[in-house]
Order: sequence, then C-alpha cells, then structure tokens
Amino acid sequence: MPITFPHFGSLTYVFETLLRELGRKDIIVPNKPSKRTAELGTRYSPEFVCTPFKITLGTFIEALERGATELGMGGCNAYCRFGYYWPVQKLILEDLGYDFRFVPIDYEDPLAIVRTLKNESDGFSYLQTLRALQKTWVKNRFTDLVDKLRYEYRAIETVKGTTDRVAERAFKTIVETKGMINIRKLKKTLPLMFEKEIEIDNSLDPLKIAIIGEIYVVFEPALNVDVHRRLNELGVICETPASLRRFIDIGYKLNPFLKLHREVSVKIAEPYLGYRCGGEAQESIGDTIFYKNKGWDGMVHLYPFTCMPEIISRSILPQISKEYDMPVLSLVVDEQTGEAGFQTRLEAFIDLLYRKREKDRERKITKKSTKPNVSFQTVYGV
Amino acid sequence: MASQKIKVGIPRALLYYKFFPMWTTFFKELGAEVIVSPKTNKILKDVAVSIAPDEDCYSSKLYYGHVMALKDKVDCYFIPRFSSGGFGKGHEKNVSCPKFIGLAEVLRSVFPDLPEIIMPYFSTAKNNHGKLKFLKYCFSIGSKFTKNPFKIRTAIKKALKNQKEHYQQIQISVDELQKWERSEILLNEAPNVEEGDVPLKVAIVGHSYVLNDPYQSIEIMKKLTSHGVDCITSEQMPRELVEHQMKFLDFNMYFEYEREIIGTVMHFLESKTIDGILHLIIFSCGPDSIGGELCSRFSRRKPEVPLLQLVIDEHTGEAGLNTRIEAFIDMLRRRKSIKEKKIRRKIECP
Ligand code: SF4
Ligand code: SF4
Repeated sequence: MPITFPHFGSLTYVFETLLRELGRKDIIVPNKPSKRTAELGTRYSPEFVCTPFKITLGTFIEALERGATELGMGGCNAYCRFGYYWPVQKLILEDLGYDFRFVPIDYEDPLAIVRTLKNESDGFSYLQTLRALQKTWVKNRFTDLVDKLRYEYRAIETVKGTTDRVAERAFKTIVETKGMINIRKLKKTLPLMFEKEIEIDNSLDPLKIAIIGEIYVVFEPALNVDVHRRLNELGVICETPASLRRFIDIGYKLNPFLKLHREVSVKIAEPYLGYRCGGEAQESIGDTIFYKNKGWDGMVHLYPFTCMPEIISRSILPQISKEYDMPVLSLVVDEQTGEAGFQTRLEAFIDLLYRKREKDRERKITKKSTKPNVSFQTVYGV
Repeated sequence: MASQKIKVGIPRALLYYKFFPMWTTFFKELGAEVIVSPKTNKILKDVAVSIAPDEDCYSSKLYYGHVMALKDKVDCYFIPRFSSGGFGKGHEKNVSCPKFIGLAEVLRSVFPDLPEIIMPYFSTAKNNHGKLKFLKYCFSIGSKFTKNPFKIRTAIKKALKNQKEHYQQIQISVDELQKWERSEILLNEAPNVEEGDVPLKVAIVGHSYVLNDPYQSIEIMKKLTSHGVDCITSEQMPRELVEHQMKFLDFNMYFEYEREIIGTVMHFLESKTIDGILHLIIFSCGPDSIGGELCSRFSRRKPEVPLLQLVIDEHTGEAGLNTRIEAFIDMLRRRKSIKEKKIRRKIECP
C-alpha cells in the first residue's frame, strides 16, 4: 500500500525520514507543487477555504494518480480549520472516485502521534516506534539548521548556486544517515560543509529579515513564490523561526533546560495577544519583538487568504511595528499570487529598510558624539 | 455610592445573539447601565466596512461598526474572549471561531483611543476552565462595579438562570419537532398561504448572529414567511438530535456552532421530512468554508431534500438574492405537488 504525504518545503525530508525509519518501503515522495497542482486543488476545493487546503489537495490528487493509496495527513482538534482538512479532502477525493485511505495524525497529542505511527509502521513495537520518532525529531533539528544556513549563505555566496547544491546534498545526507551516533555527528559536519564549500563575500553588509506567518506558507516555496530565494537574491539574509518541532520534538519538550523558540516568542506576545488562537498568530507577534531585540532589520509576514488566526495577528502587527520601530511587510498569499507584484513590493520594502538603516546608524553616531559632552557637563557643570 | 451608573457597552453582533440574556442581566444586576448598540443598518454597515480589515469576514466586520456606534456613549465595553462552545458538560473539546478570541485585542490595538475593554478569557476546551474559573472571572468583573459580594452572587445566579431559560425558549423539544415534521403544528405565526394549502417546510441553517440579524440575513425569515413557508432554524433544533448526528461522522466536528448547522442538515437529509434546506454562508468565513463544503457534499449523496447555499457578504444585492430564493421556493412547490400527485395515484390505484 504505497503511502504519501503533502509536500511541505524542507519538512518533506522529515516526513520521508519518518516513514523510512518506520520501516516503510512503499513511499511515494510527493512532487513539488506546480501550476497544475494548484489548478487541480483549486478546481475541487471550496471557494474560500484557506490556500494550504487547495495545494495539499492538489498534491494528493497527483500522488493518487501516481498510485498512492494511503494519505498521511495532520489532523487535530485545534482552533482553526486544519483539523478539517482531511475529512473534507476525503469527501472530495471519494467523489472523484479514488480508492484510498487517510491516515490522520493528531499532532497536538504526543501519545496519539506514537499510537498512529505504530499502526502505520512495519510491525513495530511501541519502543521501536518511539525510537523512529526520536530519530525523526533529531533530524528535524538538522533540517531546520540546514534551512537556516541556506538562507544565510545564499545571500552572501560569491558563485551563485553553490549554496543550493550544498543544501541539497545536506538534506540527502540527513535523510540517509542511519544510527543515532551518526545522526548526532551531523550537528558538527553540516555547518562545516557549508563553511568549507561555499565561498562568501565578506565585504557585504547584508540586511537581515525574518519571515513569519502561517507555517505552511512560510515553508512551502511553491506557495510563497519562493520568498526566501527572492530575498537572498536581493542580498538579504533571512530566517524562518517557525518549526514543526514544537509538535514532534518531545526531547526538547521534556528537557527542562531547553526551550523551544516558540515558547519564548509566545511569552513576549502575551501583552498583545494573550491566548492561543490557532495558526501562528501569537508567534508572529512575539517574533517581531524578538527579532527587533536581536537587531534585525525587518519582518515579512506571510499569510494565506482567509486565514483566520493570521488576520488577527495582521491587525495587531501595525501597532507592534510602530511601538518597536520595526518595519513589517504583511503579504497575503494565495494560489494566484502574481510574481511580478510580489517582487516589486519586496524590492520597495528592502529599499525602505536600507534607508532606515542608514538613518539609524547616523543617529547612533551623532548620539555617540554628543554623549561625552553631556557627561562632561553633568560632572563638571555644577 | 456614585450617583452616576457605569455605562457598559455591548455590541449587538456575533456572540451577543447567543449570550445576551446572561450578559445584560449580569451587568444590570450589578447596578451598571447596559447600552447595546442599535440594530444593524445601512449607515452602521458602511462605517463597519470602511474601518474593518479587508480580509475579515462580513460578520466580524459588522462587529467593528457596532463597536464604533457605542464609542462616545459608554465607559467601558464588554467583549469577552470566548473560546469554547458553551458552558458545562459536553464542551470539553469543542471550540468556537478563533476570531472571538482575538477580537477584543485587535480592537484595542487598532483603535487605541477606545474606552476600556473588559475582556475575560474563558475556554472550557483547551484550558479546562471549569465552574471555579468562571466564578472567579465573574467576581473580578463584578468587583469593578460593586463591593458587595452578595450582589455579585445574585447577579451571577440570575444571569445563568436567564440564559438557561433563553435556551429552553428557543430550542424546541424532539416531540415538537416530530409534530412539526408531520405538519401538525406551525413554528412561526401563520405563513402566507392560500386557503387549504399546506405551508412548505424549510430549515434555515447558519450562525445565530446571521439568522437573528435581519439586516445581515437580508430579512430572509420574513421573506420566507411571506412566501408561505414555515421555517425552523438550526438554533431551534433539539440538541440531542444534533449530537446524535455527530456520531455518524468519522471525525470530531470541533467548531461548536458549526455542529448545529451540520447536525441539522444531516438530520433532515436523513429524515426527508421537510421540503428544502437553506444554508446561509458568510463569505470568507473559516468555519463556513468547511461546513458549507461538507453540507453540499452530503446533500449530493442524499439528494432527496434540495439544499440551497447562499453566500452573503457586504456586496450582496437584495434583488439577486430575492430571485434566487423565489426560484428555490417555486422549485420546492413543484416538487411537492408532484410528490403529492404520486402519492394520490398510489392511493387511488393500488
Ligand atoms: S492557520 Fe490559517 S491557513 Fe492554516 S489551516 Fe488555519 S486558517 Fe487555514
Ligand atoms: S465563524 Fe465565520 S462568520 Fe463567525 S466570526 Fe468566525 S469567520 Fe466570521
């Protein structure tokens, strides 16, 4: 029974790893969503459902055409629509006449994750399943790391395209590495790989932008019109704080000394949005303040059309942006997002950031030069 | 005692329609003056649409209008952040729309010069707030108005009682429903039908704040009555039947207010005791995009009871909607007379 799952940016490697670790041999790795995927998904979806629904539906249709019969999908009992993705997609695909079975994984509940995975594994025991899951979450840490390195190096590489090649190899290595000891070693080898093989231009002084928003949109380049690459090509370093690990990284959750980035940003967001309301609403707000304190230059906030939680954060972000003097560019993304318009807005935003940075630096210099005077006066002025 | 009562503003939109007996009684009993915004009208809507975020759903856009209508008249607003379906048992897992949670904070952030907003957070679903938490919130709100804890206690008691009575008043019993299904009783005052004709039976399903707001629902109830239709709303449906239908789904329908809608639709598709179902959908509403699709897929599988889905937003023209409703009702009439003829023929020549 060939199993498949939605394409989810670099997390696709994580899902593939997971299934392999569970001993599945019949995996159909989904193709990158194309124009056709989006069209297929949109044709059969409800009109104003959020965009990730359409793309994942399209991916499933394409995978079913390739012979998949089991569809792995996240399900939950959460705040927003995500938990309804599979039930509705199931009805739609049934009406289209496909023969398949959905494997919904309630990702909010660690026990449910293990239970479902055990059923889907190649006759594993609970302990074996847990081991497989552990390997996956550790590997997930490394895919996050590779993503981070990739979005950094690509902005400052001297020969275009080297980073992508290295990153591709890094992902392959992650998927193929076996054994916990070897996996742990990746922590050192991966950054070395980037350091050694990519020539960087040290004379550059790149802007730094964090990309926040709904997790599927920030991860899936097919949907966000590859915003990371666009920014990198404009010479900007970027980073995405969103991560799946908040659900599957039980090791981190259990360790009292480690804190997921999410917990930090939720804490920061509390005065503005006190309670979780689904999606990444709280994280988006908290991260804006977090990255400001870290000294970054700006934020790009992406959200799918009609996404409920992100509309909330979108409405609060202008206030945050004003209070903390942190430029935020909110962009709504859907399957028809025009590349040209997107690019112009990004370019305009980056221009603004450059100008702002110049101004801020000038102000700092003048402040510094006036500072001794002030202290002189206060000390000797009496 | 201050000579002036504190004026509490409650916008007449969204959850107000579900919980108004409780809210208004509570504040009145505390000695505050409750000011509810006027019924939705054209001016209010225009204001709402111009100030609300573009991507928001029509219903929450209107909320902005109601808030603005109260702006200079009140000392504080009451906008709870409510994230569960209701109170008490059976609401441990289900949530309501995420917008209700964020609404108060969004308003505070977008319009910093608004009066103080009282925004208790209550969630039975994820934070397992129970009775105690509920009482604690009530007392902390109450202490803003009065120092007398007994006064607060009576206020809570009365508020809950009124809310309960309100539920009992709207929801009909299973018995009544069955009688209605057999056309023995009418639920509304006599619909406009010709002599000797039986009124059509139609279920209107949608969010309570859409159905109960004549402006938002474009007076659909009145229109149906004038066309000789006796309607039941998803709010009136006996809760047991809705919950019973939910058991047939292979997933948990965790949007509380969508349960009503889908449960009602499923019940009538199954029982085939009525002539048609009208589903009011708010454009760009999250839960409705899911619920609407589920209903339309279910009805395609059980096509005996026709389902009409109307999508409403701020641009919906009344004329276009009227024609669609009229056409739908005509279709229902024809189906009904054909069905009756068939039955008569069967009786005449067995
Ligand atoms: S977070 Fe937004 S995009 Fe994601 S499922 Fe929820 S409503 Fe849809
Ligand atoms: S349930 Fe729908 S109509 Fe109601 S507030 Fe939420 S999105 Fe808007």
